[in-house]
Amino acid sequence: MIKISDITKSYGTGGSKNQVLKGISLNIGDGDFTVILGASGSGKSTFLNVVSGLERPDGGSVVYDGCDITKLHDSELTEFRKDNIGFIFQQYYLLPNMTVEKNVRMGADLAENRDYREIIAAVGLHDKSQKFPGELSGGEQQRVAVARALAKKPKVLFLDEPTGALDEQTGRQVLDYISKLHNEFGFTVVMVTHNQNIAEMANTVVKMNSGKIAGIDKNQLQKTAYEIGW
Amino acid sequence: MIIGIKDAIKLISITIIACCAVFVCAIFLNYGIDIAAQKGEITTAAGAAMYSAIVSTGKVTAAVSGGCLAMTSAVMLLFYVKNYIDTHGKELGILKALGYSNINIAKHFWIFGSSVFAGCFLGYFSAFFYLPTFYELQNADRLFPEIKPHFHPILAFLLIFLPAMIFAVLAVIYAYLRLKSPVLDLLKERREYKTKLTKRESPDMPFLQDLAKITVRSRKSLVFFIAFSAFCFSAMVQMSASMIDLASKEMAVMMLAIGLILAFATLLLSLSSVVKGSAKTIAMMRVFGYKHSDCSKAVLGCYRPFSYIGFVIGTVYQYALLKIMVTVVFADVENVPEYNFDFTACAITLGLFILAYEIAMYGYSKRIKKLPIKSVMLE
Ligand SMILES: Nc1ncnc2c1ncn2[C@@H]1O[C@H](COP(=O)(O)OP(=O)(O)OP(=O)(O)O)[C@@H](O)[C@H]1O
Ligand SMILES: [Mg+2]
Repeated sequence: MIKISDITKSYGTGGSKNQVLKGISLNIGDGDFTVILGASGSGKSTFLNVVSGLERPDGGSVVYDGCDITKLHDSELTEFRKDNIGFIFQQYYLLPNMTVEKNVRMGADLAENRDYREIIAAVGLHDKSQKFPGELSGGEQQRVAVARALAKKPKVLFLDEPTGALDEQTGRQVLDYISKLHNEFGFTVVMVTHNQNIAEMANTVVKMNSGKIAGIDKNQLQKTAYEIGW
Repeated sequence: MIIGIKDAIKLISITIIACCAVFVCAIFLNYGIDIAAQKGEITTAAGAAMYSAIVSTGKVTAAVSGGCLAMTSAVMLLFYVKNYIDTHGKELGILKALGYSNINIAKHFWIFGSSVFAGCFLGYFSAFFYLPTFYELQNADRLFPEIKPHFHPILAFLLIFLPAMIFAVLAVIYAYLRLKSPVLDLLKERREYKTKLTKRESPDMPFLQDLAKITVRSRKSLVFFIAFSAFCFSAMVQMSASMIDLASKEMAVMMLAIGLILAFATLLLSLSSVVKGSAKTIAMMRVFGYKHSDCSKAVLGCYRPFSYIGFVIGTVYQYALLKIMVTVVFADVENVPEYNFDFTACAITLGLFILAYEIAMYGYSKRIKKLPIKSVMLE
């Protein structure tokens, strides 16, 4: 359970001060599939970074099972991310001079996970495991990022526009792998997107508008990556 | 304009090295020319022996330091140009994609020659101010007639304009060759490691070990610089200690200053480019929850053995050089003190080296800690 209370965050000082998050409160249950929707610049990424412990808020608290991560020291926060959090970004951020296998190992070693080859196979890349990221297509690179994030066995997986750079076909494929693995392992998913259709895969949809929550919808029925529109 | 003077300023270490090289060469060459003009007036046997010893010392010093330093600057320059192209792959790739020809882009790299020019200019003129003192020192025993420093335009040309031109041309040619890689490789910042790293001897190595190995392998020139920096430190500091007995205090101070400047300029250049080059990797590791100490150990720690190797080579080198100087070059000159390996100086130098090196490492690991995670994501 993640309890987010009254998060505020601004950039800049004085006259150029830009209040990006204006008091956000939200509860995310264990195993939930939450999608955060909103226009560009509404503060989605900032919110995700604060909740995942990459950035510190100016005020408010983010409590994971009783532990307020906004109160942790940097080293404790690192330790917390190591044990709990997985990330997937729009730009993949793979290590370019390491093979697929080594990239996945970067995540796996943190959890002392020896079965990283199974995860590479689970995203359909076992025959590409000795390739370098530069030799893969965008969709394949994003699947490496998925494998890398899941290899560390996170309790919560954060995704910031994971399909933003992909076409429909590869986008669906990546989402399909994510939702299958979500069903199999039961981790919590928090995904930022501005594609309304993707929201139909979630059980909770949070709509953000200029730094505030504009509404929360619950989906009774979750669609699969191949049932949603694009 | 693709490359500004700001990029050239980052080459401050080349400026410093060029300055040292030209300083040393200018002093000895100027002195050599001036004293050669007076050769006929040296009448005593002691004077003649001293004369030939001084001329050969001058030649050896100018050749060794000038040659070594010129080589180092060349390697550094090429390294910097390569690094510039690697890290600015996107911009350069877009220019190429838009239809700029390689030579059109490469010609802008001449500006990197300006850092050599600045260094040579500074070195030459500081040498000129030091010359009167140097002439006085060399002739402390009054073995030669008194000589005054003269200005030799040919030296100014050879030591300032020629190197600057050569380095500018070198930068352009090298940039041209590197820019020949396909547009897409530049755009995707794809480098040659593909072919080089495909030999995967031990695929079961833990990630951090692998990272250390790849960091070293993908930047071999940095291994050279880091070893070179230790080499300079050990050779020049120990040599300057011996100089107090063998030559003069002034020589010792000069050598010590040049050695320290060289050692630190190269060390800092190398370490900052290690950190800069690994910034993205480190940021991603921090996002995933790798401890900051693990990150620094993997990307910085792997260079430690090379610095100690450099130190050992430097120690051997300075001993051999001084032994040769004393037994061969100064063989006919009287009153040359005996030279033996100085263990105390070696131990002290090693102690200072470890201290300085670890402080630098610590500083850079602090810098790694401060790398903002978000900066990589904003790119
Ligand atoms: N490091 C920063 N410094 C200053 N302002 C920032 C910084 N990061 C984000 N902002 C500002 O915060 C606001 C929200 O940014 P954020 O990245 O959270 O938006 P977003 O909803 O993710 O948009 P998009 O859909 O385009 O990714 C923007 O106006 C942006 O300019
Ligand atoms: Mg965003």
